[in-house]
Amino acid sequence: MITLVHFQIVSAALFSIGLYGVMARRSAILILMSIELMLNAVNINLVAVASFLDPDRFAGIIITIFVITVAAAEVGLALAIVLRLFRNRATINVDNMDLMKW
Amino acid sequence: MDNFNQIALIFILAVPLFTGGALIFFPRNKIGAIRTFALAGSLLTFLLSFYVFVMYDYHEGGYQFVGSIIWLMDPLNIQFSFGIDGISAPMILLTGIVMLAGTMMSWNIEYRSKDFFVLFMFLVAGVLGTFSVTDIFFLFFFYELAVLPMFPLIAVWGSTTDFGSFLRTKEYSAMKLTLYLVAGSVLVWIGIIALFIETTNAGAGTFSIETLSQMSEDGVFSRKFQLIFFPFFMIGFGVLAGLWPFHTWSPDGHVAAPTAVSMIHAGVLMKLGAYGIIRIGMTVLPEGASGWMPLLIGLGTVNVLYGAISAMGQRDLKYVIGYSSVSHMGLVLMGLATLNPIGVTGAVLQMFSHGIMTALFFAVVGMIYERTHTRDITILGGIAHRMPFTVILFAVAGLTSLGLPGLSGFIAEILIFVGVFKTSIFLAILAVVGAAITAVYVLRLLGKAFFGPMDSKWETLTDGGPRELITNGLLAGIIFFVGLWPMPLLRVINSGVAELLARYPI
Amino acid sequence: MGLMELAWIIPASSFFAFVGIIAFGRRIPFVSPMLSIGAIIVGCILVFVVVMGRIDADPTGIDFFSRKWFEVGGTELMLGMIIDPLSIVMLGLVCFVSLMVQVYSLSYMRHDPKLAWYYAIHALFAASMILVVLADNFLLFYVAWELVGLCSYLLIGFWWEKREPVEAAKKAFITTRIADVALLVGILLLFHEVGTFSMKETFYQAQLLGAGEVSELSSGTTMIATFLLFIGAMGKSAQIPFHVWLPDAMAGPTPVSALIHAATMVVAGVYLVARTFALFEAVPNVLLVVSIVGLVTSLLASTMALVNTDLKRILAYSTISHLGLMMLSLGAFGYTAAIFHLVAHGFSKALLFLGAGSVSHASNQTDIRKMGGFIKVMPITAITFGIGALSLGGIPIFAGFWSKDEILIAVFNHRNFLFLIGTLFVGFLSALYMARAFYLVFFGDLKNENKSVSESPILMTAPLILLAIPSLLFGFSVFGSDEGYGGIGRFIFFENAHDFHFNVLLGSISVILAVVAFGISKPLYITRKFDLNRIKKYFSGLIRICERGYYFDQVYEWFFDRIVLVSSRFIAWLDRAVVNDVGVNGPANSMGWTASKLRLHVTGKVYNYALVMVLGSMIIGSVWWIMVAG
Repeated sequence: MITLVHFQIVSAALFSIGLYGVMARRSAILILMSIELMLNAVNINLVAVASFLDPDRFAGIIITIFVITVAAAEVGLALAIVLRLFRNRATINVDNMDLMKW
Repeated sequence: MDNFNQIALIFILAVPLFTGGALIFFPRNKIGAIRTFALAGSLLTFLLSFYVFVMYDYHEGGYQFVGSIIWLMDPLNIQFSFGIDGISAPMILLTGIVMLAGTMMSWNIEYRSKDFFVLFMFLVAGVLGTFSVTDIFFLFFFYELAVLPMFPLIAVWGSTTDFGSFLRTKEYSAMKLTLYLVAGSVLVWIGIIALFIETTNAGAGTFSIETLSQMSEDGVFSRKFQLIFFPFFMIGFGVLAGLWPFHTWSPDGHVAAPTAVSMIHAGVLMKLGAYGIIRIGMTVLPEGASGWMPLLIGLGTVNVLYGAISAMGQRDLKYVIGYSSVSHMGLVLMGLATLNPIGVTGAVLQMFSHGIMTALFFAVVGMIYERTHTRDITILGGIAHRMPFTVILFAVAGLTSLGLPGLSGFIAEILIFVGVFKTSIFLAILAVVGAAITAVYVLRLLGKAFFGPMDSKWETLTDGGPRELITNGLLAGIIFFVGLWPMPLLRVINSGVAELLARYPI
Repeated sequence: MGLMELAWIIPASSFFAFVGIIAFGRRIPFVSPMLSIGAIIVGCILVFVVVMGRIDADPTGIDFFSRKWFEVGGTELMLGMIIDPLSIVMLGLVCFVSLMVQVYSLSYMRHDPKLAWYYAIHALFAASMILVVLADNFLLFYVAWELVGLCSYLLIGFWWEKREPVEAAKKAFITTRIADVALLVGILLLFHEVGTFSMKETFYQAQLLGAGEVSELSSGTTMIATFLLFIGAMGKSAQIPFHVWLPDAMAGPTPVSALIHAATMVVAGVYLVARTFALFEAVPNVLLVVSIVGLVTSLLASTMALVNTDLKRILAYSTISHLGLMMLSLGAFGYTAAIFHLVAHGFSKALLFLGAGSVSHASNQTDIRKMGGFIKVMPITAITFGIGALSLGGIPIFAGFWSKDEILIAVFNHRNFLFLIGTLFVGFLSALYMARAFYLVFFGDLKNENKSVSESPILMTAPLILLAIPSLLFGFSVFGSDEGYGGIGRFIFFENAHDFHFNVLLGSISVILAVVAFGISKPLYITRKFDLNRIKKYFSGLIRICERGYYFDQVYEWFFDRIVLVSSRFIAWLDRAVVNDVGVNGPANSMGWTASKLRLHVTGKVYNYALVMVLGSMIIGSVWWIMVAG
């Protein structure tokens, strides 16, 4: 029997992997991908909770669709920025992006 | 004529504001027109200030030329109310005189002269506003209006002092001055809000000075409240008055500022501080004033001696005068702190006298600097050969500052001494000693910088032209007039001081 | 009464002359001397008028005339005059000597380009000195007193193109100004106790105090205040240790020296003590101090005069010495004697200075070693100078003799034996240095470089002659006449009038001493019967100390340069370095430093931000867990 806890464990694992990726990667693309992972972890959580608690109401599922939409738009924007960066500086290593540091 | 009296003060405020505002639209290169227009504005302001001073009825006393416009309704209850009493009337006159003289002495400014006069007019409007409103909110408003133009005026048109080992850039001085004064006004602002809250708790929040002092008389402000909040006004306004140890902005600011701004600055702006202490601190919080006066009189004494001794050790002509201002403002603070009629009258008279005297000082130093391009005492020497009238004018100012009888400074100082004597004989003696030290540095300055054999490099110096000599001659004339016949001024001040001190136990 | 009230015109006319000269003097060439001299002539005439009024009025009383000057806080400050014998005598002296000096200056200063300015200050000087004499309250007195100081500054520094007069003027003003601090504090103390500046009221209270009755003045305060007044007087009257400015004041034009030394500035101090004698009498201890200061001053100054070689400086030290005598006399209750000596000395000293001016004008030098034999070329100057010297030396029938005698009697009656010996010794020295100066300048051989010297013009010699007459005859005013004038002791006195009396023993000792001094001077300095150098060698140490003026100047210079200036520079530095750079810039700088360190936490690394974000959320989460959920 697959319970809510199993979904939450998967979600938490996915989130942790994404978090680790955001903190440990240097490449902007990889960071973006990690962020996607985290977003998807949230999505899984939302969908699971929504269907386990009250299958008749699908508010959680609608929010998930919103998240996917926003994430898509965000990735689009972020990739555009990364592309510009790569054009200008020939690298997408975020360590080098410290123009506004001090 | 009565109708005019009701709006005379508005006119006084409006003329410099309008002059400044209109000057913005003048074409930049029409320097002649700009100057003429600024002079016309100053002259009109001066005449108006003279008019209100003369028309002030000292028999009646109290606030006159009053008027009021509601600006914000309940619950803040801010009114643009104005009126002058026996203390502010001489200050208005002083501002008018110094403004006119300052405009005359700024005639030769070529660099961005339009902007200069615009800022100058706003500065003066701020000063005049502070002296003529009777609402604390607007008092604060105009006070800030007076402080802020100082920054560009000093930073753009000022001069940098550089003695090799000692460097003060004009930007530094402008920054320091502004920061200091803003810091002081933060304290004042806290105090004002406290007053408002306290009156709100008592039923009717108000910013009006008259209502506030009425409420104070009715015992709205507890002794504890007064003792806590009087220092906010004392220190906050004291910063502007050059109170030791918050004085260091003032010599630097005086020195860096261009001539006319130094004149307004040392002549009038520093008086705003003392005026604020009188108008808000002493009027509204009498018990707080009585409680804190020992400190103020002590700090005033330190001012007198410290300023005088520091002035003796200076090399720059303007620094000498800057420190002498610190010393003389100390006398003003001492006089105020006596809380007896003679001392306070002396303090107000000293405010007037010192205003005229310092304006004269700075104007003359400006003339010298314009011609010699140095203010170093050790380099100047024997320039009296070429600039006799200039040096005479400087000597008049110097002798006033050392308290020579027959000149305005003497009357003011002797009154302050008499007043302080009633409070503390010891401090009075120190103050007299301070006046004697003034004699030492003024005479050394005269001897070193102006008299004696002339250095050959000053062969080509020229004396002041008619414009400069007439302006400064008039300032010197006022000094003589007040020194010989102080009654016209003292009558007015007496009426104001009597009212102020009516609530203090003698 | 009515006539006396005209006295205000005396200072006023000179003051308006001053204003007039300032206004028109530069345009119209001769207007300035005319205005100034005219004003002082008006003054002289009015003095006679006032004397007439005075004789008609009550002979012993003091008349006061007051008008309100200004009012503050219920206290009225007055302008007023005091007319009594003391002020009348002073008025006469001031006006007469000023007139003589101004006439003399017509010739002496005629080539000076700043003639108008010269006469302007002269007029102001006369006005303020007269005001000192006339002032009936301490405030007005102080006003006039300071104006006198200012005028002396301007006159001594008249040749401001040169360094030396400027320094001398500065020194004079500052020295007297320091003493004036004491004066002002004293005046304020009295005001504090009495509640008015009026002299009349103050003296009345002092008399009550002296009589042991209830008075507003307490004896302690009166003692301090009186002593402070005396310090003020010491400054103006060049008493030790405030005497240093006076010899240097010789840097001014010679007629100025005559004016400052004889009739105006320096006697103001003596006048102050005399005027406030009621206070001094209430606290006799201060009078003892006065007499000690006077004696010490006159002893030291007369020794300095004896060894100096500059004619004007000799006269300057002699002035100090005689001012000391006047103070001594006042301190010994010799009120009449002091004023008498003041006037006698005033005439003689003005005469001597103008004579010295005449000599230096003719020979362009003031060093007496380079002079000699001038009696052959300038006889009028020589004779008048001689009269002055004899009078000051105390030779009988000359004015100085009578006044010195009065002083001796006062000292004899009220002070102990040491004072008397000191006074006699001063009298001897005084005769000796006057004789020395007189002989060295006018007798002996006329040196070659002085062959071209000739007598001064009439405008200079006439004042000399006019001054010689009172120097010669003024002494006889001690004797009364039948028509209501009972001698000077019945005209100027403090509380008790007294007749002239002559102590035979004292008188003869002083005469003998004076005559001996004049007698030995000629063989000593001219015919060289004694070997002067051997005497000099014998006293070489003492002479050196005297020549250096007892090192007062050096000590003051050291004090000023090493202590005052250094400490003022220290304070100025303190203000810059400590109050400004540490106190003001310090907080600003430390704020900047903190910020520069704090900003390092912004690394610019995305994963650092992410880590902080995660940690932050975890902390918030656990807090929430503990606080709310748990």
